[in-house]
Amino acid sequence: MTPILVENFLQSLMAGLLVGAIYGLMCVGLALIFGVMRVINFAQGDFMMLGMYVAYFLFVAFGVQPTFGNIVGPYVAAFLAAPVMFGVGYLAHQFLISRVSGTRTAQLEGEGHYAQLILTLGIALVLQNAGQMIFGSMVVSVRTPLSSSAWIIGPLWGDFVEIFVNKARAIAAVVSLLVIAGLVLLIGSTRLGKALRASADDPTAATYIGVDVNFAHSIAFALGTSITALAGGLLAPNYPFHPFVGLEYVIIMYAGVVLGGLGSIIGAFWGGMTIGIVQQMSALVLPTQLQNSAIFVFFLLIVLLRPQGLFGRVTERT
Amino acid sequence: MRLRTTLPLLVLAVAYAVISFFVTNSYYQLMMTLVLVWASFGLAWNLFSGYTGLISFGHAVFFGLGAYFTALGQIYFDFTPWLLIPVAALVGGAAGLLIGALTFRLRSHYFALAMLAYPLAILNVFMWLGYQELTIPMKHKGAVLYMQFTDGRMYTLIAIVMTVAIVILSQAVERSRFGMALIAIKQNEAAAEAAGINTLVWKLRAITLSGAITGAIGAFYVMVLLVVTPESVFGMLVSAQALTVTMFGGVGTVWGPLIGAAILIPTSQILQAKLGAQFPGIEGVIYGLAIIVVILSAPEGIFWRVRDKLRKRSGTTAVAEAVAIDVPTAGDAAPAASVSQSGGQIILSVRNLSKSFGGLKAVQNVSFDVQRGSILGIIGPNGAGKTTLFNLLNGFQHPDAGEVMLDGHSVFGVTPHRLCEAGVGRTFQVMRPFPRLTVAENVVIGAYVRAANDAEAREHAANAIARAGLTNVAHRVASELTTKELRLMELARALAGAPRLLLLDETLAGLGANEAAEVVTVLRALAKQGITIVIIEHTMHTMVRLVDRFVVLDHGAVLVEDTPQAITRDSRVIEAYLGTKWSAHA
Amino acid sequence: MKLGRRQFLASAGATALTASLSAPAVWAQGAKEVEVGLLVPLSGLYARFGTSCRQGAEMAVDRINKEGGIKSLGGAKMKLVVVDAGDTAEKAKSAAQRMVADYPNMVGVSGAYLSTLTLAASEVTERAKLPMLTLSYSDLITDRGFKYIFQTSATAASQAKQAMPVVLKVAKSAGGDPKTVAIITDNTAASVASVKPMREGLLAEVGLKIVVDETFTPPLADATPLVQKVRAARPDLLFFLPTVISDAKLVLEKMNEFGMGQGRVPTMAFGIAMFEPDMLQTMSPDLLQGMIGSIGSWGGKGHEGIASELKAKYKEPWVDQNVISTYGDFIVMRDALEKSGKADRESLATSLHTLDGGPSKYYPGGVIKFDEKGRRVDAGLAIIQWQSGTPVTIYPDSLAVAKPMWSKK
Repeated sequence: MTPILVENFLQSLMAGLLVGAIYGLMCVGLALIFGVMRVINFAQGDFMMLGMYVAYFLFVAFGVQPTFGNIVGPYVAAFLAAPVMFGVGYLAHQFLISRVSGTRTAQLEGEGHYAQLILTLGIALVLQNAGQMIFGSMVVSVRTPLSSSAWIIGPLWGDFVEIFVNKARAIAAVVSLLVIAGLVLLIGSTRLGKALRASADDPTAATYIGVDVNFAHSIAFALGTSITALAGGLLAPNYPFHPFVGLEYVIIMYAGVVLGGLGSIIGAFWGGMTIGIVQQMSALVLPTQLQNSAIFVFFLLIVLLRPQGLFGRVTERT
Repeated sequence: MRLRTTLPLLVLAVAYAVISFFVTNSYYQLMMTLVLVWASFGLAWNLFSGYTGLISFGHAVFFGLGAYFTALGQIYFDFTPWLLIPVAALVGGAAGLLIGALTFRLRSHYFALAMLAYPLAILNVFMWLGYQELTIPMKHKGAVLYMQFTDGRMYTLIAIVMTVAIVILSQAVERSRFGMALIAIKQNEAAAEAAGINTLVWKLRAITLSGAITGAIGAFYVMVLLVVTPESVFGMLVSAQALTVTMFGGVGTVWGPLIGAAILIPTSQILQAKLGAQFPGIEGVIYGLAIIVVILSAPEGIFWRVRDKLRKRSGTTAVAEAVAIDVPTAGDAAPAASVSQSGGQIILSVRNLSKSFGGLKAVQNVSFDVQRGSILGIIGPNGAGKTTLFNLLNGFQHPDAGEVMLDGHSVFGVTPHRLCEAGVGRTFQVMRPFPRLTVAENVVIGAYVRAANDAEAREHAANAIARAGLTNVAHRVASELTTKELRLMELARALAGAPRLLLLDETLAGLGANEAAEVVTVLRALAKQGITIVIIEHTMHTMVRLVDRFVVLDHGAVLVEDTPQAITRDSRVIEAYLGTKWSAHA
Repeated sequence: MKLGRRQFLASAGATALTASLSAPAVWAQGAKEVEVGLLVPLSGLYARFGTSCRQGAEMAVDRINKEGGIKSLGGAKMKLVVVDAGDTAEKAKSAAQRMVADYPNMVGVSGAYLSTLTLAASEVTERAKLPMLTLSYSDLITDRGFKYIFQTSATAASQAKQAMPVVLKVAKSAGGDPKTVAIITDNTAASVASVKPMREGLLAEVGLKIVVDETFTPPLADATPLVQKVRAARPDLLFFLPTVISDAKLVLEKMNEFGMGQGRVPTMAFGIAMFEPDMLQTMSPDLLQGMIGSIGSWGGKGHEGIASELKAKYKEPWVDQNVISTYGDFIVMRDALEKSGKADRESLATSLHTLDGGPSKYYPGGVIKFDEKGRRVDAGLAIIQWQSGTPVTIYPDSLAVAKPMWSKK
């Protein structure tokens, strides 16, 4: 019996890591927005949905599939969708979000949070329903043989224990890690990154040292949108989606970002990763239907015991 | 006073009831009920989140518990909802107390998002328990006893009574010490503690009350819907509904949720009815666009937007700039150092106080005494540890070593609001007045610590306003005040608690010379009345004319303690402020 | 006689302030039109399924009117009113309320796809004494003592019971001999109601032993933990009850990935999710090949005309449960109206209760007759199988258009 338990454990762990990596990337996108601007964006999941559809249509209707095939094509489509969504995010910030956030909100009740919440709820409604009008209600996904095949590790311990590594998920996880590494470099060592960090720490002080905070916010919002959308594109081969799919992911994203600690990119990644692992591994000990309860209970436990999150700085007041 | 605000409400309620009586279309009847259900839910949410400023994304947890309690009570025990609904309120209240006790250690975004997790965790548990779909058993006999009316207008009537009750309750809270405490928490929780408000207790009361009301509404909702599913009562969209109607209408006022629900619920229903079947999705697009457009033009909600506009139109003739300060002149501003030096009682004694953060020693081995009725200035360049020292003095932080004695008793471990009750008042460097409240309303928050009832609190507040020289502007809203007036208002709020010792945090910073002089005059008058004052500033400038003694901090340690005359000539002080280069030349 | 709601409203309506019109209490005989309703989700999460229902309804009403309407009402035409039920219980309830209020002349309605929506909507139609036909499975729908609800599909529990011997027969006829079974089900009401009798003895009766019994909350993020349990237990059969299409894809692809796909562990699905055209948008037809499903109803033999009309008119590749059942609902309403010769709700309800329409043409098995609970007498089910990219009916024989395939391990 023991080999089975070992296999169950390792298989769940592997699933958790693979699912967690993509959650991590989504969370990083949100963390950029949430961390830099302190805006709670309820439409983040719906921007991801849009990213999934953009990748899908690039794949099936704009020549990506015929040019690159079923193996490389889905990833090319995901990466092509990211700049498109960068533009969408930039415009959304310029015309909508910036009007109730950043430096304009100092005099508003609750520093503009109320307006931001309602505004992003409104945006979410528009995106979901416009999605239904344009894309229809049919469920689709980017079709590739990778999503139903695996690399097999093993057999280990004699010839029984075999660990399956889903190819599509594994590629998505590796790509996620690379993207996050690139992002960390970008933020850590470029002028733009410094502007973003300064705007996050203290927007008023940032303006004194010559940072265009509004521009930094636009970039943060656009970058955050495009990264979450990229995560959506990477998920599209595995996860069938429809215009309302955003609702399923937005909460996971927030849970991951808060778990990781506000204002920390790496923290957000680990937060998302933790959620993925808890979600997948909870099924080892709990009824599978309580997977999501396990996430939220775990989330509450961590946040209540360690209010600054797993990776947040202690100085950042709870 | 009461009648003036209650009357329009009752008129509205009666009008609503009359209209609903003539509505025979059962769909419009249902809609009239649902408007009130969501308005009530918004009111309950507002009672907690609107007044405390702690946004809850998880009010569905109370709603759902009330709903399921009522459904299960009828299915398994055949109890009547007339009994179950009040008990559901108790369930909601208990949940509120428990969740509050667990979650209030979190602030702002963390609190908001943690609240989101409760209903979602419970939602899955109810699914797991097998309660995917419950229906209320249909009663053919004794339907009224089971709140199953054939006439939809009965539900509307019940909803009207419920809504009116919640509005009256909200207004009662808003006007009382309860409401003032919540508003103070919303402005600045630390300041509220410093003003003698036990913030945790008030927040717990607020969430318990809000949870109880929400539980009852959830229970009633089940009776309207007759079907309950976890998603329809615990779902994220349920919590969002409370936020949406309230924020759309206006947060922090009973009218907000009423306006929000009255506009949003019918709009979405009508769009769904007229367009939903023809062009699926377009109703959501239009609804979403409408929300976006309205919130961009009224970011704080419709109520505040309209009110501000009306105020502006009628308020241009308002009071002329009140500059004159109604305080007996304190005579020559030069300090009579000799008077307070002459060995009065020591009210505050600081002994070997130290505090470090990580490797940084913010405060090192600081000792000094303050005599009753004197004014002590603590100065030092930026980063000298002034604010940390201040926080140690009033209990916001605990020292690593040393102690602070107030009238000979150690204040170690005493919470800020207890310290306030013991007669220590403080102001804050960053002012966060409640911009839409008048000066009098802002100040009364500080008065409750000494007042047995509302009337007494108002009396204390008026007195404090007079002492701060703000009587002329007492009825104006805070957003119209100048910086100097805001500083004096903060001072008045601290005074309203009748402190013996006042700790002032950069009260003079950013004021022009004339303004600073006026504030100095007020402060000296207060000292004459026997109030001891400790003030921190980072410039010496105006302070020289104010204080009896200086404590100069540098790198967390006391550099020198002396009279203003001596300090201005002390080379160490000049060096600390201007660097060695300057002192060498001096 | 009790004062009916409608009459009451009509008398109160004289003083109405609202713009809405109230109903005249008396119906003119031989009206030119008879209003019938379709209350299904057309927006939100379940819009896809409601759209299929709408297609079936439109085709049926078209045909009825082309054939001369309702003869006993002087050739009155049927007028279809489509109402969006939305995707929550609250929306469905409001929509139903709006429907009964705005269309006082409506005599009957079909809806509301998902049993949650049907439960909520029927609380309204029951009180408005409006007869409602539904394809929803939940036993609860007809367990509430309601008099105006008619369930045309076999209930979830009944379907589970009927499916077992058939599944075994299909399996044996194809050369298999299953002894153990794994169950993976989501926790929506219909799925739970189907699985309950299986656990409580149904499987034991036919000699199947449950070796994995997993319930999940849709939508899944990943199917690994579930399918790993199947892999560890290596059952002869998998019973799979998804409601959401994404769950169907995740589990089937994971089965394939773990080397149990394409018939190596024969998979039997309950419910419609795995047999919608959408599946082909999300995964390769190869992975679907051979999957068997038990459904309340499906297009098959005798529905060729409907199939070609559906293809021509709506570009839908096949006739699913929603299309055919909803189609049938309107034919049944016509027959009941013909019989009663009166175009009002009460008469239609009475007529439906006493109807004896002979063998069922658009629902599998049984007859067009409702018992006192409102359940169709001897309602059967359809067994379908993915064969070369299309789900085809393989049972009952009266509907079957293909032979079952059962791939060998």
